[in-house]
Amino acid sequence: MKLTAYVLIMLSFIFIGYNRASAEQSSPESQTVISVPQQETTPPIEQAKPAVIVEPQQKPAERQKTAAEPEIIEEEPTIQIADPIRPWNNAMYHFNDKLYFWVLKPASKGYSAVIPEDMRIAVSNFFDNVTTPVRFVSSILQLKIEKAGNELLRFVYNSTAGVCGLADAARADLGIQRQEEDLGQALGSYGIGHGFYIVWPFFGPSSLRDTVGLIGDTFLDPVTYVNPLEASVGITAYDEVNTVSLHIGDYEDLKKSAVDPYVSIRDAYLQYRKKKVEE
Amino acid sequence: MRKKTVAFIIIVFLMVPLCVYAGPPLEAVKTQVNKVIDVLRDSSLKGEAGKKVKREKIRNISENMFDYTELSKRTLGQNWSKLNAGQQTEFLGLYKTLLEDAYADKIITYTDEKVVFGKETTLSEKTAEVQTTIITKKADIPIYYRVIQKGAAWKVYDVVIEGVSLVSNYRNQFKEILLNKTPDALLDTLRKKVGKA
Repeated sequence: MKLTAYVLIMLSFIFIGYNRASAEQSSPESQTVISVPQQETTPPIEQAKPAVIVEPQQKPAERQKTAAEPEIIEEEPTIQIADPIRPWNNAMYHFNDKLYFWVLKPASKGYSAVIPEDMRIAVSNFFDNVTTPVRFVSSILQLKIEKAGNELLRFVYNSTAGVCGLADAARADLGIQRQEEDLGQALGSYGIGHGFYIVWPFFGPSSLRDTVGLIGDTFLDPVTYVNPLEASVGITAYDEVNTVSLHIGDYEDLKKSAVDPYVSIRDAYLQYRKKKVEE
Repeated sequence: MRKKTVAFIIIVFLMVPLCVYAGPPLEAVKTQVNKVIDVLRDSSLKGEAGKKVKREKIRNISENMFDYTELSKRTLGQNWSKLNAGQQTEFLGLYKTLLEDAYADKIITYTDEKVVFGKETTLSEKTAEVQTTIITKKADIPIYYRVIQKGAAWKVYDVVIEGVSLVSNYRNQFKEILLNKTPDALLDTLRKKVGKA
């Protein structure tokens, strides 16, 4: 009997523990109690006007509402990045925008009219396979042994069963996904922050940290070592056109849904990179 | 006595996961997403006319699936109180149209992609996150739905695609606009955006 009582007490602790855990989980969502002050509900222009007689007639109803139930607005924390070189970034954003609509998109459209989608996916797989060193080394540097092992396994399997990496056989047969790791993420995992936001022509959104990572990635990318330089650049450009051909419409959608595309892209980049670093 | 106690402990422990993973959020998301998939796969709806019907049907589903008030409040965050009641109503309508216009067109381009439903995590007492994955030819895209309990129903208040939260993304955009502009100017920008100027 004593034991049963003991067990019950234990259980109650477990449940309390659980509740506390769930409370802690919710704590990052900072709850802000906002009891709307009356001045703020009226537009600033009306405040300046001496139309005091009209306003009070509307006020009581509103006041009752807010007094009865102060509104609780939950707000997840947003991540921010310093943007001290915004004029440059803005110019580069417009440059890349034009680059896409005037050059990349027409080229990719012409290309995809000739080459069927399955072949373009095969090309994309091929390039993914070639850049295995980037993901392998980045995984090792983060001591993510399982990811490194998966990349190695993928490389061997896709190079053979996937016919020189043209098919992502490791994903289809073994269910092993590409491990999206790069040096920027490795630096991030060491606790190094972004520094500030940079938009590069051709390469798009980045940050101080990720730029350093990107330079390192280039050294790990076999395509860099292709001779002569023109061939190396040509291959990279072809890879880009091929990639864009598989994503025509994505950038347009982003622009269409955004109220301020520059801010939207900056935020999406930050959120995306944050998740990648955490993974 | 002892055996009974042990059995009791085991049963209680087996019940704990049931309490944690109640399931309704996942079920709610599953039901709505499957409804959308049924519309997309409806082979009787073809051509431009079919597209229009599909869009309309998806719009109706989204009406049940999302809590647009919650979504709007969370998007504006503390700025929500800077809008008066009339402005809040207008914001809600415009924001909804913007989202529907932007995403309905995107969704109806999907045909043979598969959706896999993953796990459900409790975020707080009344909110949860349901993980899903869209499997395309090239890659798997993780899409997480954040849901909130409203009465008996669970409604979506945020969608997180590849780690990018829709609500956070818009909040940053609106925040910057409201930093040096009035709520009226924000509404005007939105009106222009959705073509209701």
